[in-house]
Amino acid sequence: MIVYSMLIYGLINSAILALMALGFNLAFGISGVANFAYGAIYIVGGFITWTLISTLNIPYAISAISAIIIMGVFGALIYKFIIKRIRGLVMSEVIATFGISIVLLELLRYVGLIGFKYSLPVFIEGSVEILGAFVDIQRLLIIGLMVLIIIALYLFTHYTKTGLAFRGIAQEEHTSLSLGINPDRIASLSMGIGSALGTFAAIVILPLGTITVDSGYDVLISALSVCIVGGLGSTFGVIIASFIIGYAQTITAMYLAPHWTMLVSLLAILIILAVKPSGLLGHQKELEERV
Amino acid sequence: MKRIVLCLLFATVIVLSVYPASAQRYITLGVPTSLKLIEGYEGHKAAQLAAEEINAKGGVKVGNEKMMLKIEALDIRDGEPGVPTSEALLGIEKLILDKKIYAVVLGNFRSEALLAAMDIYSKYKIININSTAMTPLFQKKILNEPDKYKYSFRNCLDAPSLVGYISGLMNKINKDFSFNKVFITTQDVLWAAGTGALMEKWFKENGWTVLGFEKYPTGASDFSSGLMKAKSGGAQVILAIFDMPTSGILVKQWNSMKVPALIAGFISPLMGTKSWQTFEGKIEGAMNVIFEIGHIPLKTYMPSTQFYEGYKKRWKEELQSGHAVSPSYDAVYILANSIEKAGTLDVDKVVKAIEETNIAGAVGRIKFDKGHQLIFGNDPMNTALGAVFQWKNGRRVIVYPESIAEEKIDKPVR
Repeated sequence: MIVYSMLIYGLINSAILALMALGFNLAFGISGVANFAYGAIYIVGGFITWTLISTLNIPYAISAISAIIIMGVFGALIYKFIIKRIRGLVMSEVIATFGISIVLLELLRYVGLIGFKYSLPVFIEGSVEILGAFVDIQRLLIIGLMVLIIIALYLFTHYTKTGLAFRGIAQEEHTSLSLGINPDRIASLSMGIGSALGTFAAIVILPLGTITVDSGYDVLISALSVCIVGGLGSTFGVIIASFIIGYAQTITAMYLAPHWTMLVSLLAILIILAVKPSGLLGHQKELEERV
Repeated sequence: MKRIVLCLLFATVIVLSVYPASAQRYITLGVPTSLKLIEGYEGHKAAQLAAEEINAKGGVKVGNEKMMLKIEALDIRDGEPGVPTSEALLGIEKLILDKKIYAVVLGNFRSEALLAAMDIYSKYKIININSTAMTPLFQKKILNEPDKYKYSFRNCLDAPSLVGYISGLMNKINKDFSFNKVFITTQDVLWAAGTGALMEKWFKENGWTVLGFEKYPTGASDFSSGLMKAKSGGAQVILAIFDMPTSGILVKQWNSMKVPALIAGFISPLMGTKSWQTFEGKIEGAMNVIFEIGHIPLKTYMPSTQFYEGYKKRWKEELQSGHAVSPSYDAVYILANSIEKAGTLDVDKVVKAIEETNIAGAVGRIKFDKGHQLIFGNDPMNTALGAVFQWKNGRRVIVYPESIAEEKIDKPVR
């Protein structure tokens, strides 16, 4: 029974990691900006949803959609008003986005959002038995929603005009310019969609526990480690890395000890940086590596 | 020359008219702590409440003079990850030198910061009544050098007393249900893992079978591995000790995975009255140690109820912490009482008076041992008191110690 449980919870853990990382990865893959405010956006999105539900008594679905839209617009505005001016200066981008992250998270603390009382309701109550292991339905939904998001992203980037422009910018920005694609508009959109995806992940994952400010830093670290291992900018790489890290963490917790799980992602990063610095399926700097 | 003298006289008249001879003098109490953690946030409010109550009654009588209390708080963030102790100490020195504080209440969050800060309090002769950190090294330090560290006191539960309450609870569970198989799970931080290790030793010495002892890193959000091991091993009790926000997930998973064991210990997100709503009722049957009464009103001991209700009335919200807040309130009263008893602000005389404190506080009877640690027991009329409650249909029902238990412990129905 323990083996089946491990397989199921490993899958759930992988899905959570993938959901957390997809938004960060999309924004980086298109705009080239490592959005270090991603964890803060995730938490702010959660708090906005909580506020709309608990304070304004707005229905859950409307609150969730509103939060996704608000944070999506916020992400796009970050690009328009801050990142655009420093685009290409990697250190400046990192400092700017990390600064935004600190401001957002500390602002949440400042307005008194501290303690353990903030949580989002689960979509569907209850748990089901699978191969002798009880799993709550919310966790199973996370797996399903992760698959849906991946399919939606694939369809968007392959069959819509904007999605094709996304891929064009990601592949060769200067050539895309000659085709009339505005890189700033696309980069701004990618930051917006990335932030919206982060908020979506928050709305799906946060009902498992509580919303706390400090989790913002943990989410950023999780997203970053999955993207580094998978290859920054590669959606398929992110999915593979999520499964590798997710299952490695679950197996470590099961057969070694849970406190070693924190080393799993660090170890994975170390190995990948030593063997293939561009990540499993990443193309960034791949040419330089070959040279 | 005559003009200069006239000007000086005029200036003197102006100054004297602005500052009347009866200008109010204040006793300033510092609250250097982690104000953005729930215990620090609420503890600060509790200290403010106590100061307001005392001031409303005319202040503290120092000899023939009445002096008002003033609270000066500073967020030294010593309870937050990544903040070095040295930074917290700088904050304390800033309070001492800039705000000229007379004493410190609530104080350092983490034990390592408290132990280091004790030297600063000795250096500046500042009375410190700590209400948060739990290390037994505190008493040891005072007993080793009583003259140097006599300015420090602690009026909250310490780690050995916590182990005392948990082992007492386990004895009761063993007696009531004949349970003797336990699975221990803690957060991988010093105080929690240390308490878990002490309990592991206690279980083994008292005929229990310890099926496992798992430590989770701070921030862990999946506890399925430990719960699966507990379930497959046939655990009857899960002892959980955590103070991280994500530990609420442990109890939700315990519920959804239908683990047929009692869950008991210290899980901070389950402490407050709002937890039932936060966790959508999925914490039914979980047991939690409240470190000091006052965080939960005890019907048979009025000062705890008065504090609980007073806090709710003043701040328009219920307490959500299970630690540090009622002691923070008491600390202000301990100081006020001792200053009045000493009849002076002379620090050495006030320290002596604190050592002899014997008053009823929100946490129970307040008396210090030789190591300046508040004495805990099972009767609030004689000692300070912690309590264990069980979540029953949205209510926090005290089930231990038996001297104050409101109902019996319910076995989990799975």
